[in-house]
Amino acid sequence: MPEMTYLQAISDALREEMRADERVFLMGEDIGAFGGAFKVTDGFAAEFGSERVMDTPLAESAIIGTAVGAAVVGLRPVCEMQFADFIACGFDQLVNVAAKMHYRQGLAVPLTVRLPSGGGFSGGPFHSQNPEAWFMQAPGIKVLAPATPEDAKGLLISAIRDPNPVCFCEHKHLYRRVKGDVPAGRAATPMTARVARSGSDLVVIAYGAMVWAALEATEDLDGASIEVLDLRSLVPLDEDAILDSVVRCSKVVVVDEANATCAVGAQVASVIAQHGFEHLDGPVVRVATPDVPIPFSPPLERAVLPQPDDIAKACRELLAY
Amino acid sequence: MATETTLRPQQAAAIPPASDHLNGDDRSALLRYMLLMRGIEARAMSLYRQGRVPGSFYDGLGQEGVSAGAAFAMGPGDGLCVLHRDLAAHLVRGVTPARIFAQYMGLDGGVTGGRDGNVHFGDRHLGCVGMVSMLPDMMLVATGMAMAFVMRGEARCALTWVGDGASSRGDFHEAMNWASLQRLPVIFVLENNQYAYSTPLHLQYAVDPVQRAPAYGCAGVRVDGNDVEAVFEATRQARERALAGEGPTLIEAQTMRMHGHAAHDDMRYVPAELLEQWGARDPIERHKQRLLALGIDVAAVREQVGREVEEGAAQALAMDLPDPGTVREGVFCEGEPEPIGRGLAPWSGFAGAADA
Amino acid sequence: MSYSPTERQSRQEAPAHTVEVTMPQLGVSMAEGTVAVWHKRAGDWVEAEETVCEITTDKIDSEIPAPASGRVAEILVEADETVPVGTVLARIHTGVRAGEAHPDEQLAAPDAREPAVAAAPDGSAPADRPSDAAAPDASAPADRPSDLGRRDVPAPEHAEDRASHYHSPVVQRIAEREGVDLARVQGSGRGGRVRKQDVLAFIARRDAERSDGAADYARSGEPPLHTESPYREPQSAGAAATAKPQAPPGRVAPAPPGEGERLSRMRRSIAQHMVRSLRTAAHCTSIAEADFSAVQVAREALGLTYLPFVARATIDALRAHPQLNATLEGETLTRHREINLGIAVSLGDDGLVVPVIHDAQDLSHEGLARRITELARQARAGELSPDDVHGGTFTITNPGAFGTVASTPIINQPQVAILDLEAVVKRPVVFSDDAGQDAIAIRPMTYLCLSWDHRALDGAMAAQFLSTLRARIEGWGRT
Repeated sequence: MPEMTYLQAISDALREEMRADERVFLMGEDIGAFGGAFKVTDGFAAEFGSERVMDTPLAESAIIGTAVGAAVVGLRPVCEMQFADFIACGFDQLVNVAAKMHYRQGLAVPLTVRLPSGGGFSGGPFHSQNPEAWFMQAPGIKVLAPATPEDAKGLLISAIRDPNPVCFCEHKHLYRRVKGDVPAGRAATPMTARVARSGSDLVVIAYGAMVWAALEATEDLDGASIEVLDLRSLVPLDEDAILDSVVRCSKVVVVDEANATCAVGAQVASVIAQHGFEHLDGPVVRVATPDVPIPFSPPLERAVLPQPDDIAKACRELLAY
Repeated sequence: MATETTLRPQQAAAIPPASDHLNGDDRSALLRYMLLMRGIEARAMSLYRQGRVPGSFYDGLGQEGVSAGAAFAMGPGDGLCVLHRDLAAHLVRGVTPARIFAQYMGLDGGVTGGRDGNVHFGDRHLGCVGMVSMLPDMMLVATGMAMAFVMRGEARCALTWVGDGASSRGDFHEAMNWASLQRLPVIFVLENNQYAYSTPLHLQYAVDPVQRAPAYGCAGVRVDGNDVEAVFEATRQARERALAGEGPTLIEAQTMRMHGHAAHDDMRYVPAELLEQWGARDPIERHKQRLLALGIDVAAVREQVGREVEEGAAQALAMDLPDPGTVREGVFCEGEPEPIGRGLAPWSGFAGAADA
Repeated sequence: MSYSPTERQSRQEAPAHTVEVTMPQLGVSMAEGTVAVWHKRAGDWVEAEETVCEITTDKIDSEIPAPASGRVAEILVEADETVPVGTVLARIHTGVRAGEAHPDEQLAAPDAREPAVAAAPDGSAPADRPSDAAAPDASAPADRPSDLGRRDVPAPEHAEDRASHYHSPVVQRIAEREGVDLARVQGSGRGGRVRKQDVLAFIARRDAERSDGAADYARSGEPPLHTESPYREPQSAGAAATAKPQAPPGRVAPAPPGEGERLSRMRRSIAQHMVRSLRTAAHCTSIAEADFSAVQVAREALGLTYLPFVARATIDALRAHPQLNATLEGETLTRHREINLGIAVSLGDDGLVVPVIHDAQDLSHEGLARRITELARQARAGELSPDDVHGGTFTITNPGAFGTVASTPIINQPQVAILDLEAVVKRPVVFSDDAGQDAIAIRPMTYLCLSWDHRALDGAMAAQFLSTLRARIEGWGRT
């Protein structure tokens, strides 16, 4: 299996799906000749032409809205938000038009929106957000957040093939920092959680970049057996896997890079409180970014984004409980 | 509030034919769609007052010519995003009165099966995409459909109606810019009915939208929205241009909303003389006079429509309410998605192509 | 700070709701009395009329019933202290409801005389000083993400106090399902809180000693080392050879002839060994009975099963009787200095292996316990190396988890004896007290079944060995 970065894996998924399915096309700002702000689509315009690798006007609402139109007549648009933050400008088209379409009139909207998410590199308040929970509140949208190159490819393939609007939250910080074996071909990853490391004393539930932070934080935690559950898919949320881990470990730390209130972790904690209560041997502990915009300056940003030390500390306290 | 459902113009002047592309049957059909729309909406208003229609009720009294005329010009494979005062467009595409009544009443047999109300629907099997309340979101959807048609090299066109108020929002700009930039086969029928809810035009914009169109690189046409033939002809020409690769057209159809924004709106903010003035230009009455002048049997059409409306209402009243047990179904599509289908295209110009 | 039991208690510490327990006047001449033992400690819930302590005087010993229901707010007279009649021994706080006191009560805390934090004389509870409970790492910004964790996990000061007040959902659920009195479970969590692993370990220990071990095994999920005795008549192996896969419960298995099924390699090997052993050795079985009371106390304290204690006692007995720590091959008997102790481990349907603890004499019972656990794990995981199963000088087998009380094990060739540890069951036994008076007591008893090779030794030696073994077991901790 070829080794790829997370970013290369995303490119690979796009390339393979575009080669195999002529309905698939890309839309976004600066994705054509320039190859995208992060170079995910580098070389794509040369291979697939500028119509299928469409440089759009700077108009996020139009990107989503026209993609909806293309999707309902049978194409498979994949939209790139240059940064996930800008999806706010296309929010209405995604949440009101795309998400509700099938429920209201049985009309499917096979649409993928790629959202380069997350912070950790002084992107500041408008280039660092993790907006996934916005869309968990909008029934009709699936939300994926891969942590590994293999899942980045497999889940993006799943997203493109899915007959629904899918927000694909790819973590910018992982783009070139993680590498891994990625299967060739067009293997789709199921929209379920993955046990990144099995354990029995405590489970850390995370997704995206926080999976790596959790693995690092708990690699050697005083010999404790720490499970790390990588959610991978936020909608649908793999409640069975979450509860399996809770039954096994009875102690849970939930990590979000997103702001804490009503975040994915809040939903996970709620699922556990409701369905896993009798298996708990301690409070469900959350580690998340506090409810502040992501600041620019490195020490400020580090102070809000969950660090491995924060996770390790939360685990230690809970283990001792 | 205005309760009349049939306008009584003081002087309904006969107007000459406005299109060379309509025969007698086409003209009868246009009358029929407008009458059907008015009849269905009047009957539905009555059901609303009887408590059979939940929520509020929105109609398009006085605007029938805009939706009937524009929809009549569209081909079976074209994609339409229909607005809430454009019931005639659904009728042109082939939605039956019974399903429309059921839609109003939130019944299982309605187009959305009770999942959405009033005219918030589109029959996907008939090439329509249901609108959302955020206006003019559908301008971008229609633009996207047109974009897909071009990418696949298909001779199809997209059309959406849009209101005067919606021209103030950003999506109007984004769609005008995008469609013009890519020279897409899309038609925006701006239904200028003088008021956005209670907001008159002079509080909405400084420059008329149709004057803005050329600045985007978009054809702009103003048309009498209360002349169904004029709307048809403007749309027909816009479609011809679109399919020829000449890009989008903004058609401003001037008309008047003769009822309140919804059933709960007594419209006291509209000067009586304005209503009187527009009442004299009722699109149905004017088209009827035209048909009478051409020797067409209008009474027969009217009688036929009356029967269809009552039959449709009776059928709908016999339908079931949706099963609450199904309320969670359909949030997501499972399986292979089915793109929008083809609608009816009854204009004689599409003779032989009017297969659903 | 969200819920804090301490806060709640301190607010309700109104004198109006306090009832005193005093040294009673038991007879006109009684002037003073001594507190013998407290049945409650501060913080415990006590029902009216429930014994709160015992007192003793020169004439009479008596249990003192609580005058009211409530929570023991403070204990003012320590055990063994003698005080005048009328002295307040304790105060019971009645302004609380049952359930606000903790459920694990008097047995949970070994040092019941420690006044609880809530009963601090100045009435100030730790919760009144929330700053104390805040982050130990005061330099961290207040909005550090870990604050979330910190906020949710009670700070140590509080946990200390809270630990004894409630059990987590999983602990309560397991305890209820398994019928465990949580007061008997030693907690290893913060402030002595009973954690999931504590209650599971407790159950595992308890189940190991239960006679209905099979059912408990199914519940606990922790299989006993040995789930079936391989030491059956040779034909049982043959019967197994023709047995159909087990019929589901409630269905009648079809009568023979059934479908034949070739024995697995392991079963064939076991069959071969067993038959060879029976053919080779002159098997005799001697049985002695032993009282496990002392071992039970010790093993519960350590959270171990009986087996490592028996193993250690066996090692000691073998050193006293080296004739049994021997191998007989042909006509050569070899007595071994080191004790390589084989432990039979069941692999379920697959069969049985006997991994060997080499130089077992060097290991304590705790060391043996760890080694046994590890070997059993390796055995079940298929990770044993050849060295792990060779070189044994004596074997212990332990099928008693399923409640058998006596078996006749087959010697593991070329060894000369094998000890079979059976179920430890409560039996009425007659014993003589120090004054020579006979009495009947209920004691955890088991039969130690020793099969030995009459070629290598005689009955007297076997009996002496068993006698020594029994003495080691019964005298556990006294030597």
